[in-house]
Amino acid sequence: MNVSSLPFFVRELGYALFESKGKDQFVALTEAPAWLLDLWGPMPAPPAEINLAERSPYLENFLDEARAFWKSDGSGECRSETWVESNPAGREAPLQAIALRLQDKPVLALHSPDLVFREQVQTLQTARNALLDHERLLSEIQTKEILLHCIIHDLSQPLSVMHVALDCLSDEVMDAKHKKFVELGKNASERQESMIREVLQIFSADLRATLDAEKGAASSPNLRKSADAVITSLGPAFEAKQVRLVLTASQNADKNWLVRGEESRLRRIFSNLLENALRYSPAGSSVSIALEDDGEFCQANVDDQGPGLPPDLRPSQIFGLFSKGKQGSGKAGLGMYFCRITVERWGGSIGCASLPEKGARFWFRLPHAAAAPAEQNKHAAHELTTPATPPEIPHIEGPLRILLAEDQDEIRMLTTHQLERNGHEVVAVSNGQEALDAARASQFDVILLDEQMPIVGGVEAAHKIRRESVDATKRPYLIALTGNNTDEDHQRLRSEGFDFVLGKPFRLSALTDLFQRSTPSGQPNLPAAPATRNTEHPGGFPAMLERVGGDAKLLRQMIRTFLKDTRKRMSSLQRQIRRKNSPEVAALAHAILGSSAIFGASEASKLAKQIQALGREAAFSQAEKVYELLKEEIANLERNLRGYVGHNRLSSDSGTARKARRVAPKGSR
Amino acid sequence: MIQKKICMLGSFAVGKTSLVRRYVESIYSDKYQTTVGVKIMKKVVQSRDKEVTLVLWDIYGEDDFQKMRWSSFNGAAGFLLVADGTRRATFAKAVELEEKVRQEVGTIPFVFVINKHDRVEEWAFDDAIEEQIAAKGWTVLRSSAKSGENVEEAFSALLRKIMA
Repeated sequence: MNVSSLPFFVRELGYALFESKGKDQFVALTEAPAWLLDLWGPMPAPPAEINLAERSPYLENFLDEARAFWKSDGSGECRSETWVESNPAGREAPLQAIALRLQDKPVLALHSPDLVFREQVQTLQTARNALLDHERLLSEIQTKEILLHCIIHDLSQPLSVMHVALDCLSDEVMDAKHKKFVELGKNASERQESMIREVLQIFSADLRATLDAEKGAASSPNLRKSADAVITSLGPAFEAKQVRLVLTASQNADKNWLVRGEESRLRRIFSNLLENALRYSPAGSSVSIALEDDGEFCQANVDDQGPGLPPDLRPSQIFGLFSKGKQGSGKAGLGMYFCRITVERWGGSIGCASLPEKGARFWFRLPHAAAAPAEQNKHAAHELTTPATPPEIPHIEGPLRILLAEDQDEIRMLTTHQLERNGHEVVAVSNGQEALDAARASQFDVILLDEQMPIVGGVEAAHKIRRESVDATKRPYLIALTGNNTDEDHQRLRSEGFDFVLGKPFRLSALTDLFQRSTPSGQPNLPAAPATRNTEHPGGFPAMLERVGGDAKLLRQMIRTFLKDTRKRMSSLQRQIRRKNSPEVAALAHAILGSSAIFGASEASKLAKQIQALGREAAFSQAEKVYELLKEEIANLERNLRGYVGHNRLSSDSGTARKARRVAPKGSR
Repeated sequence: MIQKKICMLGSFAVGKTSLVRRYVESIYSDKYQTTVGVKIMKKVVQSRDKEVTLVLWDIYGEDDFQKMRWSSFNGAAGFLLVADGTRRATFAKAVELEEKVRQEVGTIPFVFVINKHDRVEEWAFDDAIEEQIAAKGWTVLRSSAKSGENVEEAFSALLRKIMA
């Protein structure tokens, strides 16, 4: 090909060629293409020179690179990035410059890659719009999750307390007017509950849809990789504050760190905890992340060397909504709250504590996910539900031994009160660790575990209780109490090994209905009295022992409690009859009725029931007469019970129930 | 005449182009149009009784699709580091880019602009980020290319630093 035809050829391709004449001066080798004339106007014809740096600020910059290329021995070309210039009318054109050598001459080629540029813009616009949508979606999901959690817990939990309190009140003796007030309260709280459920259903369906859309193929996140990613992303912020950020070196990268959860949220949890640590870390200190794996759960510890936890906040408050120290550090109190609700929703737990020397540790635990989630759930369900069919609640005639683990003081107190009132024996604790301690120290028929509790969550506690129950036939019946009330949540909890799930706010009647199934007689609250009533305690000691599941220690404790309480109750009853206090007479008679029925004292129960009715009718003189009969019956019963205690030499104060109570006193936190 | 090259730097879609257009042409559009390549605009301003031509290099936002070409920074007198106050991740990107400027170009004056302050109800820059910015000692302004809030001030503050 004749090189003299080259300028014509390249102009036809839309290129303008210029030969460098030193510094920023050039001579055109081709006629200017139309796009260049449109942009810069008429060009000087050769041999006149043109200063390209003056024509274009971008070229002024690029010519430094071009000159360096021409001076080098390198072959090939030196390309600029694309830049955009406007003509005097404001019409924009993309430009690209290429420095090259043609026949050993330094040549600059300019062209306007219009079509390619448009395609590139379109592609990038689509990709970046998608990224922005993704970011918006994540932010929206987090907001919704917090709102959803507020609905579930912060509105529903007080409602639970109201329900249970009103249930307790309903059982009290009161006149028609006050009964009506209680009914009004119950109806209003039921209406509120129904509204909350509706909102919850709408939100959870919406949230599920967005989550599904976002997740695509579900996969378990890797705790180690998430920690690495967040360390990389926050590295500059730590460097700027001169705080060292380290992932403990002993962590084995090849180990299986798959946990239950979702990648972007897991990173957010790490990010929130690390930002919190950074906020309190002095320059020159370190923040470390350590990962631990106990086979079933993985734990991440974030340790700093700051001042420790704020003195004005309890660890549990730090993870509350809008929680901030008095120093006012931190955001609007959503970061830690988000960590807690997310970790707990995945069946994990979260906490913090000041370190012995200095600094604080924030930690979270998540269930290990060894397989793909779908498989893993199946696997977990299979492993945890032994036998595969949930067992019936144990058939025990008489009171059940119930362990109640609930961190909300009011619900714990009221539920305990009501269950005890119904004749069951209750050990109440306020977190999952206390529940585990109590379950290890003593045998229970039923264990009620709140799903979301401090230190050890309900799910983790249930796993451990199941694992530690060597004899499946003696395994306690596990009931989850949860504010996460969607069908999906209930199914999830059953697959975690719970035999039954009770949604909050719950009514005590739901619980007693469930326990009712345990007794063939259908009278769970007051153990069934036998058809023949020829003795005050039919069947004697063996029958009573059988009623409490063969637990002699428990029976002994019940007898002691009866002997202690009934004497006081009887004195009070007599006093209140004389004072003509109708509600108190009925209430005390009701309590005596319940406690004497536990021991099969049918005559005493019958008399107490009569006094209850007479008290309501304000027939006090008649009540006083019946009281005398009852007094005799109770005295007989007490004598017999003392006899049983003596003859059977029941064990001393180290009884199992007492042990459990010592481990976790009721109402303690 | 004095001429000063100023670069706009920040993650994608933080509003670099909008800030330049608001500053130079007093125009704002709500529609996000991504920048591919470099756009250069000029504005003549007065500084200490002298006329200064600002050559504003609106450089594309760095992301996974486009990496920065640091030669564009050659000859820059300063830069506006821009983040989007409604997107936390843009702060981390700003921190990363500022660090890279120091490595690639050296220490030159800059002003940190947290844009989109008109969307304060969606604000995602929390106390933790504010504390990090304060710890860095950056000059920071909250701006809105939409309302014009602090746009003029951001460029003026940068020019003052450059001319100091």
